[in-house]
Amino acid sequence: MNTKIIRYIWGYVLRIEAVFMLLPFIIGLIRHDEGFMWFLIVSAGAALISIPLAFRKPTDTVFYLKEGCVATASSWIIMSIVGALPFYLSGVIPSFADALFETVSGFTTTGASILPEVESMPICYLFWRSFTHWIGGMGVLVFLLAVVPMSGGSHINLMRAESPGPSVGKFVPKVRHTARILYIIYLFLTAVEVILLMFGGMDALDSIMTSFGTAGTGGFGIRNDSFMSFSPYIQWVVAIFMIMFGLNFNIYYLLLFRQFKKAFMIEEIHYYLLIIAGAIAIIFFNVKDLFATPSEAMTHTVFQVSSIISSTGYSSADFNLWPDVCKVVLVILMFVGACAGSTGGGIKVTRLVVLIKTIGKELKNYIHPKRVSKVKMDGKPVEHEVVRAINVYFITFMVIFFVSVLLISIENYDFATNFSAVLATMNNIGPGLNLVGPTSNFSFFNDFSKYVLMFDMLAGRLELFPLLILFHPGLYIDTFKSKMHRRAR
Amino acid sequence: MKSSTGLKVVIIGCGKVGATLTEQLSEEGHDITIIDTDPQKVQELANLYDVMGIIGNGASLESQNDAGVDKADVLIAVTGSDELNLLCCIIAKQFGKCAAIARVRTPDYSKESNYLRERLGLALIINPDLEAARETARILYLPTALEVNSFAHGQAELIKIKIPDDNILDGMTISHLGMNITNDILICAVERDNEITIPSGSFELHKGDIISFAATRKSGKQFLSKIGFATRQVKNTLIIGGGRSAYYLAGELLRRGIEVTIVESDRARCELLSTLLPKAVILNGDGINQDFLKEAGIEDFDSVVPLTGIDEENIMLTLYTKQVSNAKVITKVNRIGFTEVINNLNLGSVIYPKYITSEAIIAYVRAKKASIGNIETLYHLFDNRVEAIEFSVTDAPNVTGKALKDLKLKDNLLIAFISHNGVAKIPSGQDMIEDGDNVMIVTTHKGLTDINDILR
Repeated sequence: MNTKIIRYIWGYVLRIEAVFMLLPFIIGLIRHDEGFMWFLIVSAGAALISIPLAFRKPTDTVFYLKEGCVATASSWIIMSIVGALPFYLSGVIPSFADALFETVSGFTTTGASILPEVESMPICYLFWRSFTHWIGGMGVLVFLLAVVPMSGGSHINLMRAESPGPSVGKFVPKVRHTARILYIIYLFLTAVEVILLMFGGMDALDSIMTSFGTAGTGGFGIRNDSFMSFSPYIQWVVAIFMIMFGLNFNIYYLLLFRQFKKAFMIEEIHYYLLIIAGAIAIIFFNVKDLFATPSEAMTHTVFQVSSIISSTGYSSADFNLWPDVCKVVLVILMFVGACAGSTGGGIKVTRLVVLIKTIGKELKNYIHPKRVSKVKMDGKPVEHEVVRAINVYFITFMVIFFVSVLLISIENYDFATNFSAVLATMNNIGPGLNLVGPTSNFSFFNDFSKYVLMFDMLAGRLELFPLLILFHPGLYIDTFKSKMHRRAR
Repeated sequence: MKSSTGLKVVIIGCGKVGATLTEQLSEEGHDITIIDTDPQKVQELANLYDVMGIIGNGASLESQNDAGVDKADVLIAVTGSDELNLLCCIIAKQFGKCAAIARVRTPDYSKESNYLRERLGLALIINPDLEAARETARILYLPTALEVNSFAHGQAELIKIKIPDDNILDGMTISHLGMNITNDILICAVERDNEITIPSGSFELHKGDIISFAATRKSGKQFLSKIGFATRQVKNTLIIGGGRSAYYLAGELLRRGIEVTIVESDRARCELLSTLLPKAVILNGDGINQDFLKEAGIEDFDSVVPLTGIDEENIMLTLYTKQVSNAKVITKVNRIGFTEVINNLNLGSVIYPKYITSEAIIAYVRAKKASIGNIETLYHLFDNRVEAIEFSVTDAPNVTGKALKDLKLKDNLLIAFISHNGVAKIPSGQDMIEDGDNVMIVTTHKGLTDINDILR
């Protein structure tokens, strides 16, 4: 394994994080917030450590899928630990496990919090919390690819390990240009949301933080009650942007280059919108009597559905109190998740569509056992290799899911709490049901459970395998052996 | 968002040549899209290089649209089929404004390649088999050389030789050579123990070195005979295998008055060859049967070229021939990598058709990128580590009109010859480059696109 290039990437990731951390520092400096100096101290420390790591570009810059996965997963862990330090050192979050939980939840765009209330927090810390969503949404390595010139061709492996979805395509031949286009779209949409929110009477900093949370499909709110006390206008703006950030970014690229026909033909997006419409219909029918007017019921239904399917996790109402059928629909939406190639989490619409189409194909084979047919997406046959990968992904997802539920349930909370806590973290949503519902938080779990949930969040964000490979002994044995071998020679 | 440096290149066909082109062009920083019907091939290349892959038929409008042919600068069609390559180019010409390059191998079309190119508006038609045959033939005219590349329409050549034991060059410095033997030649590159040097005057040659020198046609031969090499062209050649390459090679050799014998196992092919090449002797039999080769008189030929189409067989035949005779053998390697292994086998001259194709295309692509002047020819020497590039110089005031010794050239770069009014000359420090000259550069720097790049 090419360990030198991985170290080099760590160095750059630290540098980028150090730069990002200057933003909350500046905000704290202007507002004279409590403890803002810690951002500068941690940023300086990260920059210092990065110097020897990325001092010289390694001569061998080739790396394969393995290196891509390892570099990505380890970078995310490093990023989270460094990102948690200001919270911990300043005492804003006194326990390290809690600070790490909050940061992992931020970078993975989960939005599950251990804080009972956030309004008393210094604004610069609140800002950093929301900013981690924005960084994690598109991915820090994609950012790295966009800004740092990396020669060689295998960097698609980095992007593949970090980007959500079963298949990572490029818009344009070069990874670097693709990464730039992605970030330009991302920045543009975020900016539009900020402007629209400011029209609704939100102040600039609040709208930026809210937009960060929406753009990364994160879900850290800036008020204790998330979105319940905001005006319907703001709730609608946020709801629509949540759906938009859950769309496959291909559509924006195609719109940008005026390929309208192709843009509206993306099959995954049809299903995504269909699922949203269906879920809204069912929930609206069941909750319309709980609210004063049908329009209020509609607002909350749309907000909640888009919040859950895009894996954001903002809440405008406590859905814990809604009828059970609504909760079941929301739980299903948690599994479904957003589109591939978006900033959202979950299993992803494409995967589910392929899985369901495979069932149809299997049934056809029961009628005509010799029948040859292929699953198709966007009118093109899906390669067997892709179908296989999706099946394995689904099974792995389920295995990790139930093992996590088992580990969490050692604490003996009720089933709905345990089940939905894992569901909400692994799909990067945020709030679950019962004790971890929209008005509660995750602080009551013990440290062990919190680490399990952190693992789930990272596994979910990195699409399982890049994280799992870190735990495969073969990775280390091979590297160790080749090192020993080199030394022996 | 748009890159200002790279060209947009679409490569259709991900076979040997397609892969070589993808590797070399992506190293030069172009935006490359590859198209092939085989998803696995596309995937493999897309994993290795920073390129976009499209799965589909390259001649279909849909695939070309996906690949953005309408905005591409160059389209290169190198699928296995000539007809498909031509069709790809025709469709691309209708669809966009790119320069189209097709690989065409069948003799039926290659005779008409100029007509096809002009009528279809193509930028380049490449026939690797024909080019490989020409390169083989050039070596057979000068069999002591390992490799002969021609520049300036055959005016000048770059000749590669290995210094044998007990040669007068052993232990001689380059400046001594210039003063005492000849100053009509210029040693451009030396390979010793797998290291490449662009030598200066104090460099001392040793036996076993592989040297590459530039010379005009006549002075090259004179130099070789002065240092004790034979310079006669071969009298007869045995070609083992009767495929397309053999046909092209036989044609080239017969035109030069070299006797050709072809061994081919397929009866029908033999009959066809005997009508196409009436002057050649066609033997019907198995080319890898030792007894048959003995009967054909392999020991008596002064040159042998195995062209069976299977690399391993070719290498085997070369090793066998080296055992039974002193004939000059040229090995053609189509597919397999392991260049270091092949180099260590001491096969003598080895020809790689896939590089011949990609060299011509890369020369074209670089010339298209250059703002001034033009690249006429480009060769990759010593396993891609040295480039020899011939520029035609137009409107380059930075390099023209000054004595060469006053130009601040890059390190590891030599001006090997200047061709003025069609007369090639090995330059000295007093010579100068003028507008309209052709200049050949030998360098270890990669990716030079125009003549100004030679300056520091």
